[in-house]
Amino acid sequence: MTLLEQRTSITFEGHEPNLMEIVPGPRPHGILKYVTSTDHKQIGLNYLITAMIAFGVAGLMALVMRTQLIVPNNHFVSENVYNEMFTIHGTLMLFVFAGPFAFAGFGNYLVPLMIGAPDMAFPRFNNLSYWLYLGGFSLLMAGFLTNNGAAQFGWFGYAPLTEAIHSPGPGADLWLAGIGLTGLSGIFTAVNIITTVFTLRAPGMVMFRMPIFVWNILVTMFLILLAFPVLTSAFAMLWIDRHLNGDFFRAAHGGQPILWQNLFWFFGHPEVYILALPYFGIVTEILATMSRKPVFGYKGMIAATLSIGALSMGVWAHHMYTTGAVLLPFFAAMSLLIAVPTGIKFFNWIGTMWRGTIVLNTAMLFCLGFLSMFLFGGITGVILAQPVLDFQLHNTYFVVAHFHYVLLGGIMGGLGGLYYWYPKMTGRKMSEKWGKLGFALIFLGFNLTFFPQHDLGLRGMPRRIETYNAGMGWNFLNELSSIGAYITGVGVLVTAWNFFSSWRKGEIAGDNPWDGQTLEWACSSPPPDHNFEALPPIRSERPVWDANHPDMLTEVGH
Amino acid sequence: MHQLTGLLATNFGSPSGVTTQDHYTRELWRLSGYFSVPIGLLVLGLIAYAVLRYRRRPGDDRKPAQFQYHIPLEATYTIIPLVIVAVIFGFMYSAENHVNKIAAKPAVAITVDGFQWGWRFVYPNGHVQIGTADYNNINTNNDLPVLVMPSNETVQLHVVSLDVVHTFYVKEFLFNRDLIPGINNVFDINVTKPGLYPGQCNNICGEYHAYMRFLVDVMAPAQYKAWYANQPACSITTAGVSAIQKGNCSVINAGSNFSGNTQG
Ligand code: HEM
Ligand SMILES: [Cu+2]
Ligand SMILES: [Cu+2]
Repeated sequence: MTLLEQRTSITFEGHEPNLMEIVPGPRPHGILKYVTSTDHKQIGLNYLITAMIAFGVAGLMALVMRTQLIVPNNHFVSENVYNEMFTIHGTLMLFVFAGPFAFAGFGNYLVPLMIGAPDMAFPRFNNLSYWLYLGGFSLLMAGFLTNNGAAQFGWFGYAPLTEAIHSPGPGADLWLAGIGLTGLSGIFTAVNIITTVFTLRAPGMVMFRMPIFVWNILVTMFLILLAFPVLTSAFAMLWIDRHLNGDFFRAAHGGQPILWQNLFWFFGHPEVYILALPYFGIVTEILATMSRKPVFGYKGMIAATLSIGALSMGVWAHHMYTTGAVLLPFFAAMSLLIAVPTGIKFFNWIGTMWRGTIVLNTAMLFCLGFLSMFLFGGITGVILAQPVLDFQLHNTYFVVAHFHYVLLGGIMGGLGGLYYWYPKMTGRKMSEKWGKLGFALIFLGFNLTFFPQHDLGLRGMPRRIETYNAGMGWNFLNELSSIGAYITGVGVLVTAWNFFSSWRKGEIAGDNPWDGQTLEWACSSPPPDHNFEALPPIRSERPVWDANHPDMLTEVGH
Repeated sequence: MHQLTGLLATNFGSPSGVTTQDHYTRELWRLSGYFSVPIGLLVLGLIAYAVLRYRRRPGDDRKPAQFQYHIPLEATYTIIPLVIVAVIFGFMYSAENHVNKIAAKPAVAITVDGFQWGWRFVYPNGHVQIGTADYNNINTNNDLPVLVMPSNETVQLHVVSLDVVHTFYVKEFLFNRDLIPGINNVFDINVTKPGLYPGQCNNICGEYHAYMRFLVDVMAPAQYKAWYANQPACSITTAGVSAIQKGNCSVINAGSNFSGNTQG
């Protein structure tokens, strides 16, 4: 008790604590630090930057596709190249960008800081995770260097198209190995973060005082442990089919192609929430800080996250409604139910802003982008969850529009997170002026790209087609969509430029530029090795706020 | 009032289909619209209101409220969505039973085989329509294989894959069904409006997936009867690049000629 009271004497605004060097002497820096560091912050940055590079590469592929589709009967790229493009675009975006960017990048950087830990539980293991992940990224790209090209069967690679006889050559194998490595990396990260959260919380940081971001990452990590091993096993089976003459998925030999779909989606749907939950967490943190309020319905929020995680394990066959081989009512009911906890989150987010004093900066704008787009993607999700409607819309551009709204909604939250935590990572702020321009371009371009695709889907345009007949009534909408993609591209360039140029030239931020609430704002920017010299007392889920605003503590009761 | 019912009858952008079943699909789509448009607007409105109303302006020295829980409110926005979801599920469940119903005695039963990258339609008397599109020009419909069927009758389609997974998809039917090796898929379709409808494979199946198109020619029953009577058993009408197969009846039992293999 006395200890805690002594600690409150530290002031947390504009105060520069002395750096705590554990190891004396010169420290590695530059490339050596990048390669060897076991510091969770360095590894987090490695992930963030690598993921952003993957986003750029996959984004270029998206532009190639949109250029191919801008007019009917186009011959900008060949059929095979187009098929490579959407396969590797989707694969990179999901396995190398969207997932690792949040759960491994922000997760690594922030989880120890937010729970008051000096590092992750297994720092060297953490370093290994990163290198496995980079290895996976490299193998996926290496597919383009092989004689038959990279994988060409879409990111869910339905057997038997993936069998050696239909997809010969090393491109498909590299795809298997590449995703396999990113999966292993994810599993290792999950083990690491779960152990960290369970064992390294600072005194006073009980589970129900952890920031929502940490809760969401924790649930995500459990989903990874449940889902990825199934994917890895399915990949092993396919590998056996391809190289050892196995018959798991070869119908003519007594195998079951549908088994692949069940295994893949048993992983694939939880994967969707592995991609979404961390972004929910990011947005929750930003909304609370920028509204200068506690998270509304904190415990309800956690309950919603847990039930989303639980339900997401039982909805995989909603991707298989049209196979005629699944129990439709069960999967429809489970899928529709997920709308309920998701709705709770939305109302909690609104409640968090309610009667606050909202600072409308770039980070907050991206959060609003997230809210509006994810809302829309969620509504089309409820439509697709109904088998009868999915019979109509399955695999059309309606689905492409739906999942891009959901995923890019998430990415909007992620960009908000970048603006929000950039000062913590670099000590400097990103430019607000360029930030708002980037936001406007991305928001506008994105909606122009994907809104018309709903209509394209209703007009019957299938996904994954390399070109289309001019008489189908799809021409104008495709043109709009492609123009939107170029605008988005410009917005991404503006944001990237802002990111890199602010690194050295941005406005000095100080330790707690947003009047933050959670522990990461209690150490210097960037945080020293092993993070904390001293911690404020942890008596609620926002210890830094309590220390800085003793007059504005959370009201008890309701 | 008239305008109001006009709005309520809107299809929310959905095309109208040409089958007896599509009625259920569109009802469900409309129902989803009735729920999701107001809910979407409500949530969006609340977000916009909160941001505009509680935005901090220069010189604003309001103190932010610090409340955190409101159990009755939280319970409300848990229970109401649960009820809505249950209602949607109820409607969906009954529609699903109509759409998936299979007649014991359909008027016509046709086997639809998909292969890389074309279609084969096999009629009860052994007549076969088979073909692939022109891979060089997607703007021509000349060579497409044609699925001929009568209107206003229950047509049963048995969809079979000869190699990889394909999907039978005709936009005007508002319906997709997969062709998966090892799975027997049968569905009924009853088209009320005669006409020529484009169809297309809707599951990535390799290089020329985009070209795996076909036409459905729906004729009045009498016309269909006449057409059918004119198709000798075991005849083959070929189209597109598989013209080599013309007149070769053995193909009926050997789809492998077209896909290279049936191994999967
Ligand atoms: C400006 C940004 C983007 C554009 C213009 C874009 C465009 C496209 C296009 C044209 C396709 C191919 C559709 C088809 O042929 O069926 C596609 C597929 C896909 N995209 Fe994106 N995309 C963007 C961002 C993203 C992001 C951020 C993610 C994920 C985080 C993502 C995930 C996917 C996935 C999973 C697929 C499916 C791949 C497949 O069919 O196997 N995309 N995108
Ligand atoms: Cu799913
Ligand atoms: Cu296909």
